[in-house]
Amino acid sequence: MSLLVDLWTNALDPGYAATARSGGRPGSWTRRVVPLAVGLVAASFLVVIAAVQAHARAPAAARAHERLVAQVQQESKAVADLSSEVDRLRAVTGALRDSSLQGSAAGAALSTQLARAELAAGTVAVTGPGLRVTLDDAPATGAGQGNQGQGNRVEDRDLQGVVNALWASGAEAIAVNGQRLTGQSSIRSAGDAILVDFQPLRPPYVVEAIGDPVGMETTFAQSAAVARMRSYVQLYGLRFGYARASGLELPAGVEEQLHDARPVHPPATKQSTPNEKGSG
Amino acid sequence: MIVLLAIVGGVTAGLVLQPTVPLDLQPYLPIAVVAALDALFGGVRAWLEQIFNDKVFVVSFIGNVLVASLIVYLGDKLGVGGELSTGIVVVLGIRIFSNAAAIRRHLFRA
Repeated sequence: MSLLVDLWTNALDPGYAATARSGGRPGSWTRRVVPLAVGLVAASFLVVIAAVQAHARAPAAARAHERLVAQVQQESKAVADLSSEVDRLRAVTGALRDSSLQGSAAGAALSTQLARAELAAGTVAVTGPGLRVTLDDAPATGAGQGNQGQGNRVEDRDLQGVVNALWASGAEAIAVNGQRLTGQSSIRSAGDAILVDFQPLRPPYVVEAIGDPVGMETTFAQSAAVARMRSYVQLYGLRFGYARASGLELPAGVEEQLHDARPVHPPATKQSTPNEKGSG
Repeated sequence: MIVLLAIVGGVTAGLVLQPTVPLDLQPYLPIAVVAALDALFGGVRAWLEQIFNDKVFVVSFIGNVLVASLIVYLGDKLGVGGELSTGIVVVLGIRIFSNAAAIRRHLFRA
């Protein structure tokens, strides 16, 4: 406190009082005026160039910001284009594979097996009845309270809990905001955004799960995740709800290519392996 | 008279020349301006109290600007740049404010 008081009371440079007390004014007119003029010119020059600088820099900053925003939008569009291209090509290869497999009986059997595996792996678009769960951040409180704002958001853990509870309730296929979950999907947060398979999501988060609606709802309603979300609704004002839905359509998930992983037992001998081990 | 001429001269020089400040010096410019404003307000107050001294004014102006820039530079090198700049702005801001209050009391007797 004394520092502030000192600052306030001794605001004037002590040099003025000291020279006034000693009373000495240097004699000649030029020796007094020239330094004063130089000082004033320098001071006003400094203020003006700072003002000019700030004025010139503000539009530059705005331009840079605009350019970055445009770049982000352009790149997101490129990503969207490329992923739709991937989807299209995948459909083409799928159709080609099916038509070449349909030629023989063994091929047809393989084809149906493949279709079942794809369905289970989540790499084909599916439709059916199920549950639609909605999570959303608490409404903005208005005042910019940093920590408060942080506490009132849906976090990746909440979304993970809900998704896991849905799987545990017998969901057969799940998508979050139109992002299909597969065996290799991840739900995590980066900064303030929740990422599903590295795609940032924007609230509200809509989790759509296909499965037996009645059975799934019963189990889901009793899960720990729902109880936790309900308490978050009470405590932090998050928004949470779920309802049965018919005719949900979930898009195909991204097919992950496994480059290094190999089955421990090759698929052909897999069925006979336990028997051999049992007898041996 | 000479004061007015000098200020007008400085402002026109700044406007006409429009010098581009080197990128390395740009962080120091706002702090230097605050220091210069502090010296200016101090000078005006001293003048109103009739203890103005041109030598003290010029030395305090140059000294303030240099010390403020030096502290910002040191802060940059120590990795606490923003905090030290804030400290300078707070200190000089308080001084400017109290000098301005003194000037106001002198001018309006209130």
